[in-house]
Amino acid sequence: MRNLILFIRRFFNLILFLILEVICIILIGRTNTLQGNDVMSSANSAIGLMYRKQNEVVYYFGLKMMNDSLLAENTKLRQQMAQYLIYDTLKDTAVKRIIVPGDSTTVVKYADYLYRTARVINNSVSSENNYITLNRGAAHGIERNMAVISGTGIVGKVVHVSDNYSSVLSVLSVKQQVSAKLKDGTVGYVSWNGERPDVMVMKDVPQQIKVKKGDSVFTTSYSFFPQDVLVGIVYKTVPIKKNNLQLLHLRTATNFRNVQYVYVVENKMMKERSKLEDSVKKIK
Amino acid sequence: MSTPLRNFIRFCFIVLIQVLILNKITLRWWSQPAGFPVFIPYIYPLFILLLPFETPVWGLLILGFISGLTIDSFMNSAGMHACATLLIAYLRTNVLNALLPKNLSEYASQSPSVKNMGWVPFLVYSTFLVVLHHSVFFAVELWSINNLAYLLLKILASSVTTVLFIVAYLLLFTRQTALKS
Repeated sequence: MRNLILFIRRFFNLILFLILEVICIILIGRTNTLQGNDVMSSANSAIGLMYRKQNEVVYYFGLKMMNDSLLAENTKLRQQMAQYLIYDTLKDTAVKRIIVPGDSTTVVKYADYLYRTARVINNSVSSENNYITLNRGAAHGIERNMAVISGTGIVGKVVHVSDNYSSVLSVLSVKQQVSAKLKDGTVGYVSWNGERPDVMVMKDVPQQIKVKKGDSVFTTSYSFFPQDVLVGIVYKTVPIKKNNLQLLHLRTATNFRNVQYVYVVENKMMKERSKLEDSVKKIK
Repeated sequence: MSTPLRNFIRFCFIVLIQVLILNKITLRWWSQPAGFPVFIPYIYPLFILLLPFETPVWGLLILGFISGLTIDSFMNSAGMHACATLLIAYLRTNVLNALLPKNLSEYASQSPSVKNMGWVPFLVYSTFLVVLHHSVFFAVELWSINNLAYLLLKILASSVTTVLFIVAYLLLFTRQTALKS
């Protein structure tokens, strides 16, 4: 016993160092499962408040840019709407149908989206896993695992929520992959290799599919993102000889360096879907 | 102003500089000229570097752990910064002993600074620990050695900018604290 106490006294610093390092390693290991604690994240109310105060100062310098991007988005949405308005409904022979629930010929909803706006109060692009802090939290209806998109493309997924703030793991993260598709419906995965914040990589595309420079890549309905949100534009294709696949380099649709406002998308039918999908995973 | 209070204020100040200014540098295009990896200067180890000579190692460890976790909370990187900061807090006393001509106990109630160490020893001391800190941090963050050249380039670029910022900090703020004390 005495020897033990002497040993501890002699190597107290080394032991303390090792204990604290082990605590750090446990903390790192826990965040890698994406279920880290909310207290030690930028969704924490004190840290969120500080970022908000800073953003209030910097906010005005970006207003011009933000105005332009909002105008561009408005134009895009108006063009999309115009496609629905050009039909002359008077000459249309289709009869208005009364939708009967349970009738197999009617359209079945598989998703029900609710969009909430939020402002980006902190942002980063330099780490391997980049986080964005938003000025909306549980009090405004934000929950974990909601999708976050910007006016131009995808942004990420909510991972930590406090009352007034939430932090989003952006798609610029080596531990998050997004299911994506090309124009012709070929499905693959888009991931980030951790280097440049404006470049992402799409994998698992067979070589026989001809992809040109400038093709767009959209999200699929498989992921938690809403369907057909722009992921990026192809600018380089690299064929891989050994497995007959090709690697597509994309320019991200969202400019992650100056993303200022985002939409948090809630899919009201997601809970039902993920419950079903999880129950299948359990059986395996 | 007492030494603990001054160090506490310095801690808050350095964390604010780190979080509100230096972390935002990467959001500008010139942080990445011609496909260079995104680098980020971490000056918060300076808080550990400037603690008084007589701080015991366990005190350094605990302060390093707390400051690392503070930065971790800001950057959502739970544990990575703390891991790297602990290492430099543990090695600080040994590095100082190796660099200084006299025993550490002879510098009663003084802190490492350019004034009592001289520019070259202080820069060697801070550069060594900063490079160590950055190597551990980026290695833990990347967690693979597939892309060794990229890792080394990132460590180098970040260390160089960190040392530049540390020199700038010292030039800006040491004279004032020397006058006050």
